Parts: sequence; C-alpha cells; structure tokens
Amino acid sequence: MKKLIALALACIMVLSLAACGGSKKEEQPADTSTPSAPTTEAPAEPTKLTLILRGGTYADVIKECLPAFEAEHNVTCEVLDLAEDDLHSKIALDAMNKEGAYDLCMVDGSWMAEFTANGVLANLSEMGYNFDDDIIPATTAISYYDGDIYLAPYYGNVTVLLYNKENVAAAGFDGSSIATLDDMMTICKAAKAAGKNGFIYRGDSQNNLVVDFLPILLSFGGWVIDENNKPTVDSDEFKAAMNFYMELIATGDAEKKDDLIASCDTGSGTMGIGWPGWYKPTADSTADYCAITGVAHDGDKAYNANVYGVWTIGIPANATHKDLSLELLEYLMDKDVQHGTIASGGVPCRYSSLQDPAVLAEYPQYDVVCKALEGGMYRPVIEEWTEFYTILGTELDNIVNGVKTVDAGLADAQSQLEMLMS
Amino acid sequence: MKKQKESLTLASTSTRRFANTMVSPTVIILLVMTAYPLVFTLIYSFTDYNLMKRNTSFIALKNYADLLGNAYFRQAIWNTVKFTVLTVALEMVCGFFLALFVNSLKKGQKAMRTLLLLPYLLPAVTVALSWRMMLSPNYGIVNQILTTLNLPVYNWFSDIQTAFGMLVLIDVWQNTPFVFLLLYAALQSVPQAQYEAAKIDGASRFKTMIYVTIPNLKNSLSLCALLRTIDGFRVFEKVNLLTGGGPANSTATITQYLYNFGIKNLKFGFGSAGAIVMTILVLILASAYIKRAIQ
Repeated sequence: MKKLIALALACIMVLSLAACGGSKKEEQPADTSTPSAPTTEAPAEPTKLTLILRGGTYADVIKECLPAFEAEHNVTCEVLDLAEDDLHSKIALDAMNKEGAYDLCMVDGSWMAEFTANGVLANLSEMGYNFDDDIIPATTAISYYDGDIYLAPYYGNVTVLLYNKENVAAAGFDGSSIATLDDMMTICKAAKAAGKNGFIYRGDSQNNLVVDFLPILLSFGGWVIDENNKPTVDSDEFKAAMNFYMELIATGDAEKKDDLIASCDTGSGTMGIGWPGWYKPTADSTADYCAITGVAHDGDKAYNANVYGVWTIGIPANATHKDLSLELLEYLMDKDVQHGTIASGGVPCRYSSLQDPAVLAEYPQYDVVCKALEGGMYRPVIEEWTEFYTILGTELDNIVNGVKTVDAGLADAQSQLEMLMS
Repeated sequence: MKKQKESLTLASTSTRRFANTMVSPTVIILLVMTAYPLVFTLIYSFTDYNLMKRNTSFIALKNYADLLGNAYFRQAIWNTVKFTVLTVALEMVCGFFLALFVNSLKKGQKAMRTLLLLPYLLPAVTVALSWRMMLSPNYGIVNQILTTLNLPVYNWFSDIQTAFGMLVLIDVWQNTPFVFLLLYAALQSVPQAQYEAAKIDGASRFKTMIYVTIPNLKNSLSLCALLRTIDGFRVFEKVNLLTGGGPANSTATITQYLYNFGIKNLKFGFGSAGAIVMTILVLILASAYIKRAIQ
C-alpha cells in the first residue's frame, strides 16, 4: 500500500514538474510571403517586440513614439527601462543565448568596443541600414566597426555646464560669458563666499566621478589613454587638471544627480556637469546650461571638452525578429519622428531638429547642444572601459576625499591601469 | 518469536524505505537548487570565466590571490565585519528591549506589535530610497529640521565621517523589528512561575532579566544573532543605492566590491572567488551556532 502511495506521489510530482515547464509559444514574425488570408478570418496575432532601454527621458521619448508603429505593423512592443548598469549586464547576459529575448537595445557608446568584439550586436549595414546626411556626423563616430554600422545615435547626450542663473549673475557673469575654467572657479568661489555651494559633483559611483571630471581634464589637454591605448593618468596635464578640480570641488559638495539638479535649480548650489536629458530650461527657469568651452585659463588653447554620453540604439545579433526590429529602428531614427520627441525632452542628433528656428524659439538651449554635439568626444572605445573607469574612479574617489594625495592616487591608478591594459 | 522479529525488521525496513522515498524529492530539489550552484561557483572561481568571452581557462588560485592581495578587498572585508558586528549588536539590544517593553504592556500590545513590524515589511530598496529622500541635502526633512533648529547640516551619504554610520542606522531601523518579533514570541513561552518565584525571592528587575528572562531566551537570542549575522554579511541594496561603496571605499562591503570589480565587468570567475571567500567567512562567524545545532 505504502509503495503504491509512494509511486502515485512520484507520478504526481513528475506530472506537476512537466506541467510547470509549459511549452514555449513560438513567435512568428510577420510573414509577407504567405498568401493573403481570406478577409473573413480574424486578423493575425500581433508580433511582440521587446525593447530594452535606458530608463528616464531616454526611454520615455521612445515609448511615446511606439503606438503609431504598433498600429501600422500589427506588433505590440514591450519596453524594459533599466538603470545603466542593469542595462549593460542584461544585454550581455542575453547575448549568450542562441535566441535573444530583446529585439532592440539601447547602448551607451562606451560599451561599443566590448559588444562588437564579442558579437553582441547585429551588423546594421548588412541589414541595409545607412545614415542620412541630416545626422550630425561626429555623433556617428561610435557607430562603426570595421567600416560597418552597428549602432545608430538616438539621444544626443553630451556634457554641458548646468548652472544657477542668479548665482552666476551675482558673480558678474552669464551663461555666454563663462569663457574659461577660471571663470567657473571665480563664480564658484563667489558663491561659496556668499554662503552657498559652488561646484557640485557626483561622487556616488566610479563612473560618475570619472565622467564629471573628464571635461575638466580635456580642457587641460589631457586624456585617459594615448593613441596606443596606453593609460595616461599620471601625466602633467592630468595632475594639473586634478589639482584644479580639487580647488573647484572645495567650493561645493558631492551630491547625487537629483540633488545636483535641485541644487542648481534652487540656487543652494551654483554649477555642475550635467546632461541635456536631465533638465529642460525655459525662459522662466532658475537654471540653464551652456557648453564647456574647453579653455582652462584666459589665452590658453581651446580644447574639445564636451564628452558624449550619446544613447545609441541597435539590434542584438540574436534578435528573433530582425526585419521588424530594423523597421522599428528606422522608424525611431526617422527625421520627423525624432523631431516630434523634442516637446517631451528628446534630443535628436539631427540638424533638422536642433537647428529648426521654431524649436530654437521655444528651446534656445538646443543651439548649445548642437554645437557641443558637433565637436564632442566619445569616451575611449576600448573593451576594458568598464574595468578602466572602475579603477580610475576608485582612485579619484580616494583623492577627492583626501585619503590619497593627487600624486599618490594617480600613480596607483596608472600602475593598475597599465596592468589592465597590458 | 523469530518470525515476529523478522516481521518487525521487515516492517522497519519498509518504513525506512517509505520515509526515504518521501524525503527524496526534497533532497533532489535541494541538491539542484543549492548544491549545484555552489559547486559551479566553486569551479568558476578557479577560472577566468568572463561572460562576454568565449574562452575560459583554468587559472588555479589566481582569483583568490588577486582578491586577497587587493587592499580594497581587504578593506571591504573589514567594512563588512564592522558593519555586521555593529548592526547585529545594536539590533539585538534594541530588539530585546523592545520585546520586553511590548511584552510588559497591559494594553495595546497588538497595535504596538504591528506598528513596530512595519519597517521590516518594507523592501530594502524602498527603505534605501525613503532614507535617501529624507537625508537629501536639498529637500530632505532631516536637514530641514536641523536648519530650523540652527544645528549644522550634513551631506550624510557623501561625507566620509557620516556615510558608514548612516548605513548602520538604516539597517538597524529596518531589522530591529525582526529581532523584536522573534524575542517577543519567545517571551510568551517563558513560564510565569519563574517570574513569580523571582518576585517572592525579592529579585530586582535587572536580576530577573539576567537570571530568568535571558536564560529562557538563550536559544532564540542565538538564532537571531545567527540570522542577522548572515543577513548583515550579505548587505548590498542599501550600500549600492545610497553610497555605492564610497566615499573613498569607506562603506564598500564585500558584495559591493564584488559587484564593482566582478559582476559589473562580467568577470564571473573573479566574482565567484569572492562569493566563496564570503561564504567561508559567514561559515566561520556562524560556526559556533551551527556546531551547537548539530550537537
């Protein structure tokens, strides 16, 4: 009897497990080659596309464009909007599968080398995609690998100087007259003397620490690697920039992104490195942004100091509906569709949007963004970039918090980075 | 007699078989869900497995040597131990006195119990974000109150002097109710006769607590300490959301270090070695309780 009960239980368990497994429903892409169905039949089940995007304005502007595409192509789009780190690891994890879960992905330019070297992205050129002349050429620099296009620049994020108008005016400046880093220092010191915070930086992650410092470094003519990908963080330019940065951040505080924006908006802080996607200034707003000129001191050479954080879109190599994904990508990159996203905070990498007089009349800051996008710098296109900025950011964190001196911190960073890149 | 004995032996074997059959699905599931990942983590820890790379090589103990030779990892171990010891100690003390207090209430015990449990019911991410808002240097209520009282305000999570303390405080705030609940339940089962005897003998409140309450709660106290130690060692969400391990690694715990230097870079071999080191450390810390449980 007991044996029978045991056998019955075992059978039930096996059956339950089998039932729990379920069966994978095959998703068939819209097949145009099949003969058209009789008109009396119900319309075909919509195809489901899954988009994995960077959360915030970047994903929101895409989401608002989707209904029209869904209706036109009989598809439903599911959007996963994630934080930057999660987005990176989820795309990488999914790349290991034979059949991918995502049909369109948003990619930070700095992941390009890692993703293309490991076959994560589909070759858009082979699929028939090409850029039109309206796209700002410099923003497409990151899109190519071996001459083929793998990514399309979607959201024109580029570092800008976010500032509080009143605090800047109190020091005798306005956005257009901040010509050098010394001017920034003067304004921040004046704010500090008035009992307010001067320069606000993000000290909450290695990536943010590095990214906020890069425009200052570029203004001093420095960079993190040379043309042979050898780390150059122990250089004279780097040290000069770091020493200047230490003096600059002494006027303010380390804050998280939301607090940085709030500080510049309320005037409790004066300025910080920001991105156009963070803040939408209007004529009445208390804060605004301007381009960083790339000049350290009066009379110095003007370097290109605008760092790109362009969010690009691509198609995973293992996407299951590649043709539809390409149609979606082309739709999202369409001139008119992109122009339509401006009201919701979209920043297309397109002249037709950023130089449109009607747009500039309402959003004059897009002129600044356009100029910054025309001459921006992408972060190094190296496979090791994630590890690179983690090491560098850790040492910068030690320096800005006084745990290490500038010389000691940069020497430590240099030796670790050399080991990484060797 | 012999036949009866044989029949008894047969029955006992049959019962044992039946018991084994009944237990086997659980054992199989446990093996698949626990032992299998653990073994694979151990194997990966001896390789340079990177999620994005196709080739994985056996590198023996290199990951362990790199980890233990890294000053930031050693700092992360120290931070984790410090965090665990501080939070467990504070949570045990606060939870114990809260349990005593609520148990002594003549009225409103249920309402008090429910209210005290609320922080524990919240997900760690919600707790972290709520505290982040409350302690924001711009719009946080804490700094606004301090400003109103003409007291100095701080940038709580970015100041090297306050960041670690804030993480401890938040963890204690969230997890004290767990200790409270376990000890409160245990307090219900302490025989009242012992308290009455102590009262007749003229024992003070303090002596009653030392000689009656604590001995009766011994098992619950050690279970709480063990569970909180394991949980404290695994702290991640709060650190990741509130400080990211900074400023200057002052709040970097083992899990945050492994996230920054292993998982984020997709170096799963390195991350696995860190996970194994962490498991060993937890086992060492929990060994006293585990030994007692086995005995």
